[in-house]
Amino acid sequence: MSPQQPFFTTRLDQFLKWAQESAVWPMTMGLACCAIEMMSIVSPRYDVSRFGSEVFRSSPRQSDLMIVSGRVANKMAPILRQLYEQMPDPKWVISMGACASSGGVFDNYAILPGVDSILPVDVYVPGCPPSPDALIYALMQLRREIEAGGKANVLARA
Amino acid sequence: MTIEDTEIGRTDSTAKEVRKRDDLRIFALAPDPEAATVDERDTLVLSMGPQHPSTHGVLRVMLRLDGETVLTAEPEIGYLHTGIEKQCENLFWQQAITVVERADYLAPLLNGLCYVLAAERLLGIKDVPPRAQVLRVMFAELTRIASHLVWLGTHAMDLGAQSIFMYAFEMRERILDIMEFVTGARMHQSWFRIGGLAIDVPKGFLAKMDDFIARFPTRLADMRRILEKNVIIMDRLVGVGAISASDAIAWGLTGPNLRASGIAYDVRKAYPYSGYEQYDFDVCVASGGDCYARFVVRLNEMQQAWRIIKQACERFPDGPVAIADRKIIPPPKTEIQHSMEALIHHFKLVSSGFNVPEGHVYQSVESPRGELGMYVTSAGGNKPWRVRWRPPSFYNLQALRKLAPRNLVADVVAIIGSLDPVFGEVDR
Amino acid sequence: MPDATALRAQTAALLPQLTQTLGADFLEAVSSEDMDEVAMLPGGLPAAAELLLANGFTMLLDIGCTDHLPLTPRFEVSYHFLKFDLETNAPDGRINSTAPQVPARFRLRVFPDDLDPHVPSLAKLWPSADWAEREVWDFFGVRFDGHPDLRRILMPDDWAGHPLRKDYPLRGLDRRFTPGGRVGEVPPVITK
Repeated sequence: MSPQQPFFTTRLDQFLKWAQESAVWPMTMGLACCAIEMMSIVSPRYDVSRFGSEVFRSSPRQSDLMIVSGRVANKMAPILRQLYEQMPDPKWVISMGACASSGGVFDNYAILPGVDSILPVDVYVPGCPPSPDALIYALMQLRREIEAGGKANVLARA
Repeated sequence: MTIEDTEIGRTDSTAKEVRKRDDLRIFALAPDPEAATVDERDTLVLSMGPQHPSTHGVLRVMLRLDGETVLTAEPEIGYLHTGIEKQCENLFWQQAITVVERADYLAPLLNGLCYVLAAERLLGIKDVPPRAQVLRVMFAELTRIASHLVWLGTHAMDLGAQSIFMYAFEMRERILDIMEFVTGARMHQSWFRIGGLAIDVPKGFLAKMDDFIARFPTRLADMRRILEKNVIIMDRLVGVGAISASDAIAWGLTGPNLRASGIAYDVRKAYPYSGYEQYDFDVCVASGGDCYARFVVRLNEMQQAWRIIKQACERFPDGPVAIADRKIIPPPKTEIQHSMEALIHHFKLVSSGFNVPEGHVYQSVESPRGELGMYVTSAGGNKPWRVRWRPPSFYNLQALRKLAPRNLVADVVAIIGSLDPVFGEVDR
Repeated sequence: MPDATALRAQTAALLPQLTQTLGADFLEAVSSEDMDEVAMLPGGLPAAAELLLANGFTMLLDIGCTDHLPLTPRFEVSYHFLKFDLETNAPDGRINSTAPQVPARFRLRVFPDDLDPHVPSLAKLWPSADWAEREVWDFFGVRFDGHPDLRRILMPDDWAGHPLRKDYPLRGLDRRFTPGGRVGEVPPVITK
């Protein structure tokens, strides 16, 4: 907290960030195998709702976070972009898994070499698929990032 | 970065034009003759998906509705097309196992099993050790239960029973624990190899399996008690999406979808592989062919799969887990450290694989979705020439065009759930 | 429950029948290790299909295609059929027997022309052929005459080229959606 910043807006800023990070609601953007691990974080063992992601909203208009879980095919890319545009600000993107981050195991005509070709990504999660622990760690990293206020790319390794 | 800055904006508009032109054709081709009698201007075209909580993946269904009744349902697929078949043609025979598993991602080991069995047939390998066979059967059945649990959790959640999702996934976590204990990975284990298995199971494996065998029946019985005679489940599923046996055959349905229409076709009984003829289990059949019949068949299948696992654990023989042919299976690492020959074998396998004699074979296994077949063609080289999938979900999903008309919109969700498609497999 | 040898005897009996029906379109009949099969030219496909249907092969399991470039004929469209034992079928389509079915299996391999491949469509006889034929068209460019709605199914509607052909590069002809120019040049064409 810089001493030159006015007291009230800094407090407001901190309050807003706390509000945003405490209830990050992901969108159901399950594409492939990673989606099953994403579903596992809702299951009782990993239980992501204790971190604030109580519900996965199907409508992009009601969600904050797009977890791109799975390989992105050429046909799906425009739809992904449209959904991202439909999400209201502030919004974040976690690129879950090797395929979403870099094309993964697949190096061919059909798969995008990373979803960051079409979307700005905040956290990359390696793994094929990443275990639910890794995804939760990525969520925690995202929360730290929201708190810090930056939009730097962060590699979540767990 | 806006849409117009990227390629998407340009290509998307072309795709839109193409789609508009094709839309008019699609709806003129209704398989249901009654649909053509309603005036087109009174109908609503609803695009369901590809991002949708209940389509079980990336599926777009173009529904033409007359009020709430579906007139035609035209599924549009390809949103997860991965080029797996082409990717396999560029990998060595043993490397392709990893890629092959990512098609049907709910039952990865079964994709691997089908491919590995096909390759073994082309190579003429008939002496896969019994321990490997038993472990293959055991893990195939564990995978089947895991896949059916995902089906149960998501299908019940679609119908409103959200707590079943939690129970089913909790049980599934126990199975994935076993997978991780043995192979190191929860999903996409890549454990089966051409000629056997990659590594043997660790100590303590049988204790873990016994624990699972003890726990599973009670949990399954719990879930059945909640669901099987449940008024809401029966209201939503009985009579919905019914298909007769001859129609099911004509539309290429296999697996639980076909068995729910009364035809007791199970590849494990008809064309057994990996020693399935030695196990005692029933083929689960129901009559009625509707969503409820498919529901009951899958619940019963979980029970039968548990039976097979129990028998496999009792049977568990000792011995190696892979054939001794060093030209196919690499030697153990300990040997590589002091034997030149072993080192050369390992080097050869990793750098240039092994050659498979020319020929073609169709190998099928019973996946949780139906008959998973692979028509593998070899041109004599160290890479598969062609791996043609026969994806059960592709044909099951096509039947949606037959099943959905004359039902309500809400029933479409129930029907898709009861067909249990996996889009990694549909689109490959 | 019929056993495997009895079934193979059944399907083996079809081979001379097909040889006769196909006449000039017949290429070869093989009793492979997995099932009996007949290789033919596309002209004979309708007759062969009728014969199989008349013999009870009511399920078309799969239609696939293989590109044998640089060999010729290049395209091989493969059809797999299953025949169920439906004698215990009741009139309303319900099956009375719950004994496990052991269906007979059969394969047809059709070799169309290299430069302009055309094969008659089986979509009217077996509804399961519809999407499978669209997929073969999408990936190989083999046209199916008489198909009600032949268009791409898995690739985007405006895609150029047929990806699973052997002269189509693995990484594609261009890369969409990579504004940073992430991909290098296209690797050389695979011919074997």
